[in-house]
Amino acid sequence: MATSPDTTATVEEEARPAAPSDRGPRPNPLREGLRLERMAEPCTMVICGATGDLTERKLGPALYNTLLGGFLPPEFTVVGFARRDLDDEAFRDHLLNGINRFSRNRPANPAIWESFARGIEYHRGEFDDPAAYAELARRLDRIDRDRGTAGNRLFYLAVPPSLYPEIVNQLDRAGLAASGQRRRGGGNRGWTRVIVEKPFGSDVASARTLNHEIAAVFDEDQVFRIDHYLGKETVQNLSVFRFGNGLFEPIWNRRYIDSVQITVAETVGVEGRGEFYDATGALRDIVQGHALQLMAMFAMDPPVEFHAEDLRDEKLKVLRAVKPMASKDVAGNTVRGQYVSGWVEGEKVSSYRDEAEIAPDSQTETFVALKLGIDSWRWAGVPFYLRSGKALPSRVTEIAVTFKQAPLALFARAGVPQIDANVLAIRVQPDEGILLRFGAKVPGQGLHIRTVNMDFRYGSSFAVDSPDAYETLLLDAMVGDASLFTRDDEVERAWEILDPILNTWGSGNGGPLHFYGAGTWGPPAADELLERDGRAWRKP
Amino acid sequence: MTGVSPPAHHEQAVHRRLMRFGEAESLATPMWEEDDTTIRAIAGHLSSLWDALPAGADGDGALVTEKGLPHARASVLNLIVTVVDAAAADRVVHSLTGLGVRHPSRAIVLVPEPGSGGAPLDARISTHCNAPSGGGDRVCYEEVVLTVRGEAAAHLNGVVAPLLIHDLPTHVWWPGDPPFGDPVFDQLVDMGDRLIIDSADFSDLLAGLRRLTTLRRRSGIGDLSWERLGWWQELTAQFFDAPRFRRYLPNLSRLRMRYAVAPAASNRHDEDEEVAPGIVAPLVQPLLYAGWIATRLAWRRHATMVPLADGAFSLRLEGKHEMVDLEVAPVETDEARPGDLVSVRLRSLGETGAAEFIIDREGDDAVVATNADGMTALLRRVRMESPREHELLSAQLTTNTAGSVYEDALRAAAILLASSREPST
Repeated sequence: MATSPDTTATVEEEARPAAPSDRGPRPNPLREGLRLERMAEPCTMVICGATGDLTERKLGPALYNTLLGGFLPPEFTVVGFARRDLDDEAFRDHLLNGINRFSRNRPANPAIWESFARGIEYHRGEFDDPAAYAELARRLDRIDRDRGTAGNRLFYLAVPPSLYPEIVNQLDRAGLAASGQRRRGGGNRGWTRVIVEKPFGSDVASARTLNHEIAAVFDEDQVFRIDHYLGKETVQNLSVFRFGNGLFEPIWNRRYIDSVQITVAETVGVEGRGEFYDATGALRDIVQGHALQLMAMFAMDPPVEFHAEDLRDEKLKVLRAVKPMASKDVAGNTVRGQYVSGWVEGEKVSSYRDEAEIAPDSQTETFVALKLGIDSWRWAGVPFYLRSGKALPSRVTEIAVTFKQAPLALFARAGVPQIDANVLAIRVQPDEGILLRFGAKVPGQGLHIRTVNMDFRYGSSFAVDSPDAYETLLLDAMVGDASLFTRDDEVERAWEILDPILNTWGSGNGGPLHFYGAGTWGPPAADELLERDGRAWRKP
Repeated sequence: MTGVSPPAHHEQAVHRRLMRFGEAESLATPMWEEDDTTIRAIAGHLSSLWDALPAGADGDGALVTEKGLPHARASVLNLIVTVVDAAAADRVVHSLTGLGVRHPSRAIVLVPEPGSGGAPLDARISTHCNAPSGGGDRVCYEEVVLTVRGEAAAHLNGVVAPLLIHDLPTHVWWPGDPPFGDPVFDQLVDMGDRLIIDSADFSDLLAGLRRLTTLRRRSGIGDLSWERLGWWQELTAQFFDAPRFRRYLPNLSRLRMRYAVAPAASNRHDEDEEVAPGIVAPLVQPLLYAGWIATRLAWRRHATMVPLADGAFSLRLEGKHEMVDLEVAPVETDEARPGDLVSVRLRSLGETGAAEFIIDREGDDAVVATNADGMTALLRRVRMESPREHELLSAQLTTNTAGSVYEDALRAAAILLASSREPST
């Protein structure tokens, strides 16, 4: 689990043995008690697709901020690898522009940038040209010698997933994929890791194919599947909240919890990603990665240790306990919707089908609501309601837990009916925080009970700039901590849960596509999904 | 609740704050002020502060968010600050404003005036709302400035106790030279979970360092001078994170440090007869740094300190494999705050040759370089801004325990310093 640098180190962390890849003579005795515990090892980061949007908006700024924080060692080197005809200087300017526009610390300090830029190179080549990779290998060897990067390499595939197989195979053929002992010439000459961006497939079959293709070249412990959502502070804090406090875990089960709602709501429409989105839809885009991961982190058992494999084992257990729906159950447990024109945040939004690159008869869902169950001793019988959509009234991600009602309506005789159930809401964004709703007596002679909110906001206790998710995740990958990255089996299991829904919808037996006005909380059918169970969605 | 118009100097102070902390726009709102008041009255006002805000108390109703909700009032700690006079109180209030964003607290600033007559207790309560730079909720907290006169000034703990928020950690910040052994000081230290001082303020450095080592048994210590060294320590450690350089560590043979002193015209410390030549409070950073590295690497003192010209001195230590020459020299500069390190150079004799590890400060940057084994010199430029007081304080409030690393360095620093008082060999 990543710790942010300005939280205090726990004793366990200090006692943690040095990372396995650190085969130095002895641990650095000067490190003890220092504030920065997560220093990246010397390494070269190769960005494949370095001239794209992601590099400019996210990776460049993330690297620069990580550098300013003192987390990058002096040896750290960046190699941009892309087709465009640039030289080192032009590529550095490309990165610098991105930093000056998008970094949370901007503009870049000229002297510091100048010194950092000396370790930035550009490697021009076609992704399907073996010679480009052979040349890359020579370049990386030279960097190892000149800059002391110790053979450690991090490949970032900032390219469309369709290019992954080609790049991965080419890396292998050029001898760039092997790590440690397996490298040509033997000996332990550093690690190789690869970061791949979502989407990880579009169904079980494509995800398996993709995983197989990567696994043919890389071991699973070399592969870091990045989903920036999981790098957010509050997602990380979910574990601290659950397992760092004695108060919540004892009631985190079917005995006390009535139901759970997970909402991932966006106000925006497709924002120029029409072609991609129309082929994807809300279920694949949001539920597969974000919503199911949030659910797994919310529902998992405490891991034996806070290490990547233990965490991911526990998350996988949750996903395995979510039984895929039978085809006949899909219509009753899912609702899909598509927005028509309306008003969001005071602005007129046109219908989804009128957006650019969208088919005029598109059946793609921009809203989805699901009722899932987790068949485990902890959660059997507790419904998990997931919803996600575009063009909704507010941008919010939250998990809301409704607790069971008090067993007796003790105050009924005094004219007070059964009071509302307690709700604990964990907001992931935008106002990160935790809210508890409970009943309290209205002061006065009579007995009147009113529901009140106890509202904790991160913003009001820690008003500091949190690192961007990419900063956290890049540093994690350099340190070799895979806790916040998704494992192959998690990805495949998530698709196994969603495939029957996608297939049934596709066959026309999954219920109709409902329409909802932009700026509303989805189609009425989504409300009915809960009303049937005597429940209602929260209005976050 | 009595709305008061703030005194003019207070208004200026508020203005200064707004100018200075551009990254966290801050609004200080004087809420209540009363001369010759009572603790009970203050406590009453504090408890009603956030549920009955006078509309537009600060002119534009800024205590209410866009959603019409009151600003989040937050508190993660109590902070007690004792200062010598009203001017010092202003300076402290200034620092606290920067602090509020990270560590919302109830801050109680005590101005004891034991010798003065007049009303035993004057109070001024202000609220502060900070807007984080990245947007988001304003964070509000409150600050109480108490002027305590006459006999009550000898019982500050009794004055403060009823005003603390229960169940939150209490930090006692004592800017300036702490009166170790003074009953008022001891009472306050005992009341807090942690004492924050700046060892650069000690008028008798050796006695102060020794007092601190014994005080640690009772209370957590935060030392702002130690915090100033944090980035230097980090950069130093980074040299040896790379396994190929770590082998140089046991063979270090020279540690050379330079620290800033004010240019001659304004430097009066040299004439101080109380301490050895050149050894005055600005020396605390080099001493703590040397103490840190010596204890991490198990160096022992081998000889006594040898004063050199111009306030410099040298000292021989016994390392694991090599004797280590420690050289400390002042540099007259106004580019760095007096007492701040401006250069650290480590030299090592490895099996394959000599290596040098260099951190040289240049204004707000530093050049960090490694020359080893005839390899290409690794050179880079990093940030090296002098942290502001509130940043140091903030960092110290985040750290739960300074741990034994500081304690070890402190003890070693005292030993190094004490050697200057023995006849040189």
